[in-house]
Amino acid sequence: MNDVSTNSPVAQRPAHVTDAVTYDFDMFGDAAYVADPHKRILDLVKNAPPIFWTPRNGGHWMLMTHSANFHASRDTEGFSSEIVPQAMIKAMMAKMPPGSPHIPQPLPITIDPPDHTAYRMPLQRAFSPKAMLGLQKSIRELAVDLIEKMKAKGGGNFVDEVAEPMPVQIFLKMFGLPLERQQEYRTLVKEHMEGNQNHDPRAIVARMLKLTSIMRETVLERKENPQDDLISMLWQSEINGKPTTLADLENYCVVLFTAGLDTVVNGISHGVLHLAKNPDLQRELRANPEKIHGASEELLRRYTFTVPLRRIAKDLNFQGVEMKTNDRVMLFLPAADLDSSEYPEAERYDLQRQNSVHIAFGVGPHRCLGSHLARLELQIVYEELLARVPEFRLDPDKPVTYHGGHVVGPDAVWLRWN
Amino acid sequence: MKIKIDKASCVGNARCAAVSPELFPLDEDGYIAVTEIDVPPGMEALARRGARACPERIIIVVED
Repeated sequence: MNDVSTNSPVAQRPAHVTDAVTYDFDMFGDAAYVADPHKRILDLVKNAPPIFWTPRNGGHWMLMTHSANFHASRDTEGFSSEIVPQAMIKAMMAKMPPGSPHIPQPLPITIDPPDHTAYRMPLQRAFSPKAMLGLQKSIRELAVDLIEKMKAKGGGNFVDEVAEPMPVQIFLKMFGLPLERQQEYRTLVKEHMEGNQNHDPRAIVARMLKLTSIMRETVLERKENPQDDLISMLWQSEINGKPTTLADLENYCVVLFTAGLDTVVNGISHGVLHLAKNPDLQRELRANPEKIHGASEELLRRYTFTVPLRRIAKDLNFQGVEMKTNDRVMLFLPAADLDSSEYPEAERYDLQRQNSVHIAFGVGPHRCLGSHLARLELQIVYEELLARVPEFRLDPDKPVTYHGGHVVGPDAVWLRWN
Repeated sequence: MKIKIDKASCVGNARCAAVSPELFPLDEDGYIAVTEIDVPPGMEALARRGARACPERIIIVVED
């Protein structure tokens, strides 16, 4: 998506933002960032202030250090996930004419505790490490199937062949949605990923409504005929002591779809890209498959790729920086995991690292719900790819291009092998 | 050796249990199930590694 690598207009700087904490960086369009995201992040870590305000994309804060990201993520009273406050959303909904469609919200991502806790609770068990063990076998079968298909072609774009179809199929399986409609969901994922570049709220709502309409038939059917799937389980759950409604179910579908699919696609693609560039690492892991678990963790640290958004909910002085109510803040997790005060020689991919405890999945109550599923998918893909495909490298005729934004990653990773 | 856990701050990363499921039992929802653990002799190194693995930094090792 190189065509979007132009900076957005400059917003006016608010009075409370000083020169010393102002730095110009466009997390969507910065040319160097879109050319090679983590190289640019290392440059920012070295040269930009540890917490800075950028005038791009309407103006917002960027948290660069591990410490800033750690503490902001855990302070939900200062750093709210309600980018639009729930009170405001409720007031808007109340004004809509009767019979208007339910506009789904990606709950509980966009709410704060205690409501966040109530909405997250029904999902917690379904995504626990124990529940994930039950999925291990089907994830492996799926990974093997996709990798073998790519292998039979003698090469290909790993993103399209494996990284993108895999999480979609696991999503359909967990939800109990018909696999025959896979293509419709994949098209939606693609639209969602492309939509990551612009934040036109109408386009986002339109995609969410499209998703809930595709799912509605199955959702309603499971209410009457529960099966062993997530939709049936969510119908049997309670939120704040009340049985779930169709609106709740639609919110859950939307959150798991928008948060759980393109993230995994980008995570796997970053990892395989690094492997393709490092034949020595491939050799080491092929000879010692037991090292793949640690290798996968270090890939997550070295190429952390999600950038969650917060809104300042009360005026505060955060680590010496004045922030005002309604300022927007990016938890720039990719920089936190490249903070050299936390990870010495942070730019080095190092399997022997003393501290490999990254925050790629975030910290605090909004910690990625799907982290246990994601870890399993990542590890299985690396294991099966290394076991089945001979030493692979990047196709020199098809250079890797990237996208910035809230989920940073390669658009395509073309692999070749002999 | 003892381990003390700020259980209320657990968000279910389950990295401690990934190091040692015996030392760090989880509840059905994937959160840590206990607040204090007496580390059996011979498991001190695992206990330290499990504590260090917590991204929330809420597990503290109390040496004898």
